[in-house]
Amino acid sequence: MQKLELTEVSSGYGRNEVIHQLSLKITEPSIYVVLGPNGAGKTTLFRTIGGILKPFSGQVKFDESDLFYSKETRRRITYLSHLNAIPEEMTVLDALKYYAEIEGGDVDRVLDLLNLRELKDSKYNTLSQGQKKRVSIGKIFLRDRDLYLLDEPTSNVDPKVSKEIRDILIKLSKDKFVLYSSHNLYEAKEIGTYLILIRNGQLKFFDKVENVKMKHYRIGIKSLNDISRLLPEAKLENDYYVVTVDSPKMVAGIINDLVRGGAELAEVRELDNPLQELFEED
Amino acid sequence: MQRSINLSKTYVIIGIVLALYGTILSNLLPLLPTNTVNTPIDLTNIFPLLSVAILSLSALLFSMPVVMLFVYDKNNGIFEYLLSTGLDQLDIFKGYVKASLLLASSLLAFVIVLNTVIGTFVGTSLTLLATIAILTFSIGVSVVFLVTVSMIAFSSLQKTRMGANQPLGVSLGIIPVFPALILPFIFPSYALIIDVSLAAAILLASIGLLLSIGKLILREKLLP
Repeated sequence: MQKLELTEVSSGYGRNEVIHQLSLKITEPSIYVVLGPNGAGKTTLFRTIGGILKPFSGQVKFDESDLFYSKETRRRITYLSHLNAIPEEMTVLDALKYYAEIEGGDVDRVLDLLNLRELKDSKYNTLSQGQKKRVSIGKIFLRDRDLYLLDEPTSNVDPKVSKEIRDILIKLSKDKFVLYSSHNLYEAKEIGTYLILIRNGQLKFFDKVENVKMKHYRIGIKSLNDISRLLPEAKLENDYYVVTVDSPKMVAGIINDLVRGGAELAEVRELDNPLQELFEED
Repeated sequence: MQRSINLSKTYVIIGIVLALYGTILSNLLPLLPTNTVNTPIDLTNIFPLLSVAILSLSALLFSMPVVMLFVYDKNNGIFEYLLSTGLDQLDIFKGYVKASLLLASSLLAFVIVLNTVIGTFVGTSLTLLATIAILTFSIGVSVVFLVTVSMIAFSSLQKTRMGANQPLGVSLGIIPVFPALILPFIFPSYALIIDVSLAAAILLASIGLLLSIGKLILREKLLP
């Protein structure tokens, strides 16, 4: 069984320890969202797992093999940093060939996977942000890997490209390990199966996203008619009647009452993200 | 190599111009009027040695874009990615040193051929042409090696990113070229041995420095 295991890993830069005695074991192919405020240690964690930084102490193992010391094991993983790491002066095709020469891989497959064929002769520095991100992501798909480390892959890209990237990752996660850091809590909740919360270089939470519970839930209800008399406790915010409940289970009862009272409901949605509280909690 | 040339054509052009200048200088002697040849200043030694120094520096300038590329790739996150693929610091450094030496060697080879052709045409002695060729190639390649490795180390260790510091690189290159120019005047009979030995010493020092920085410069220094 494949697994990624961190055993009391401490890591950082120079004398500055950023990750402190972090232990983690991942055994199921899935998308693991790594969440944490700025400076929490997410990038340092990814760099340590990726074999870029040598841990000060502890071990990072993938399938029982030490990741830092085994080049063979490192070839089974890939890391996408928040910088694109593509030579700006090259064309898209030349840039992908550049990396394919270093680590092998199929450039044609990547051109088709990320819809880059039309852009292959364009210089990288003439592309839009979204296009640049696709090329950057393309390099990590040149070869098949077992573990993908993606540091904010959808930052600075438009929703359309973000969706394309997420769709690729969801397909990938069926049999690969995908660790994905994001500041976008809605995206994290949408595609993540597991949540890894890092704060001050320590692991604070590691569980399935569905097990994350909030203290209160704010629900927004949009209706085609006025339902203020049916929901006297609701506040109107941006066309939504907003009610606060202790549990999502209460929502069904509220909706039934509204429908019986003649409400013509257009939309019901959760307004807050259960991850928000975890993210901000002190 | 190709990326370096694309990054800065200015240094490439300056290198070629200086190389042509050095070529002309090394073949000037047979074209001078005889009364200038017998002046208190020994022109028979000065011009060829000057041309060796200039040609060596031209190779240095020609290969300077490689150091610029090193800084650019470091800041762009390319090294970060390469480290994650299993490469280590020494692998990365060797790539840039190799590009630098290839660039320098290609210019020096071209210049030596050109120098030989022109020299044969104007009547420069074959001994002198061969001496210039050996000295130019050995000193040029060794100086480029030393400066590239030194600048890679310097750029990696800079706390505040200040670019590639090309003037520093050129200054570093002048330091070993200077004794190669002066010592033959002090020991004229041993000029060839002195300069080739100096080149070999610089080469060995460069190899030692490269292997050292491969171990001593931490991986995190290559991160953006």
